[in-house]
Amino acid sequence: MADKSEKIGVLGAGTMGAGIAQVSAQGGFDTLLFDIKQEFIDSGMGRIRGYLKGSRERGKITAEEERRILNRLHDTTRLEDFKDRHLIIEAVPEQLELKREIFKKVDALCGPETLIATNTSSFSVTAIAAATQVQERILGLHFFNPPPLMALVEVIQGDRTSKAAIETAINLMRQMGKTPAQAKDTPGFIVNRIARPFYNEALRVLGDGSASVETIDRIMKQAGNFRMGPFELMDLIGNDINFAATESLYRSFFEDARFRPSPIQHRMVMGGNLGRKTGRGFYVYDKK
Amino acid sequence: MSMTKNSPVIIGESRLAHDLCDLCREKGIAATLLSRPEELTPAAPLVVETYTGDRHKKKLMLQKLDDFLAPASVIVSSCLGYSATHLASWIKKPERLVGFATFYPLKDRKIIELSAAMRSGEGSIAAAEVFFKSLDKETVRVKDCPGLTFPRILSLIINEAARSFEEGVATAEEIDVAMKLGVNYPQGPLRWADQIGLDEVLAVLEGLQRETGDDRYRPAPLLKRLVVAGFLGEASARGFYTYQEGQVKP
Repeated sequence: MADKSEKIGVLGAGTMGAGIAQVSAQGGFDTLLFDIKQEFIDSGMGRIRGYLKGSRERGKITAEEERRILNRLHDTTRLEDFKDRHLIIEAVPEQLELKREIFKKVDALCGPETLIATNTSSFSVTAIAAATQVQERILGLHFFNPPPLMALVEVIQGDRTSKAAIETAINLMRQMGKTPAQAKDTPGFIVNRIARPFYNEALRVLGDGSASVETIDRIMKQAGNFRMGPFELMDLIGNDINFAATESLYRSFFEDARFRPSPIQHRMVMGGNLGRKTGRGFYVYDKK
Repeated sequence: MSMTKNSPVIIGESRLAHDLCDLCREKGIAATLLSRPEELTPAAPLVVETYTGDRHKKKLMLQKLDDFLAPASVIVSSCLGYSATHLASWIKKPERLVGFATFYPLKDRKIIELSAAMRSGEGSIAAAEVFFKSLDKETVRVKDCPGLTFPRILSLIINEAARSFEEGVATAEEIDVAMKLGVNYPQGPLRWADQIGLDEVLAVLEGLQRETGDDRYRPAPLLKRLVVAGFLGEASARGFYTYQEGQVKP
């Protein structure tokens, strides 16, 4: 991919942050990755290197492409280095105060033309933007996990986000090879909200004693053509993560019955039966 | 293909009814498609009743079938909008009724879900299983409720998509693209709803709301309006999308 002129910054070198930085560098953008500690950065950069090495070994990219992508990636523990960025994407842990604090700093640091986006999945973009002075340039860019593999990016317009900011962001996402879907700043945006019944109603069907975990999964795959059954998928995502997403929507919609979480899943979370990562969820997995 | 004494009868006018009849014929089964129960021969061993609309009409249809049919005949009735137990309560021989729930098109459904009403006879359920197996469909018995499993879960996803669309969260196209790319759904929920028929989806939601009393099933107002306006999806060339010669009109 040819080098692009816009400079991108990514805040947070965790799974999402590192993945987004990789997408950006692969898209031809000079990309700066920030975290508060060098060890976090090293771990994120290590994951990117490992991913690219795998891509090269599988013949997806050449050694030259790998080298060029890595050359576009830089890192820093100093927020001041983000001054010259055209687009900054925040992917720090999902804590509203933490996000607001970092937005306030970056907003004060960068000129008004810099777009600042949050990768939040559970907070309102408008609520994060409230911590800044130039709210028109604040938006949401919600990537899906893992960012290098998932084509979708939800582009979220907060109450005060300008149309121009949305258009620029959409254009940049396309240049990164992503498919943008524009959505208003509402709880769960598009995907996390509309996908909720896939998990939550399957849990209700299970709770009603209508069918077993295995039967429900089999029906959804064989009758519905879904790639995975709801319980297999919850075990893969992690029941803690999935439950938290449902609970967040339930609270955001002020306890609307449509999003009421399942006591079955709550019990599993409390019992530490989180799915694949703990070896036990709706199914039992072989410990590696 | 002529109607024989032992061939199954399909009652209905929906896309699913036509689809089921076509599938029978493709498998060499001389099925007959009738829109009214008065036209059938009493000796038909098995009747699939696919109507999902108005309660009064569905009740009358089942009662007529119950009166016309020989005592040994089995009625396999669509339980998208009512539990099989509820449907069986309308007829004199409840043991002959079995519920089934699926969505158009049948080529995409390897499994058909069946539901035994509280009074269903074991022989009736077994007959329904034999019938669907002869169409190379696997059957699964699940507990009785409107919409059973797949139509129930999908209808709730569609309902949430319809609400999001109505609230202006995103356009229909963007909702569908997002669900296909964000969570790998085989189709976008709104396009999928148009294919199934919005009336069938609404029947499931209203059935669940009626039988459980739970607010989580209340249908999106837009879905209700589209159905009463006669915009049922592909079948009427308009639903969430507009169609021209079977293709989405841009």
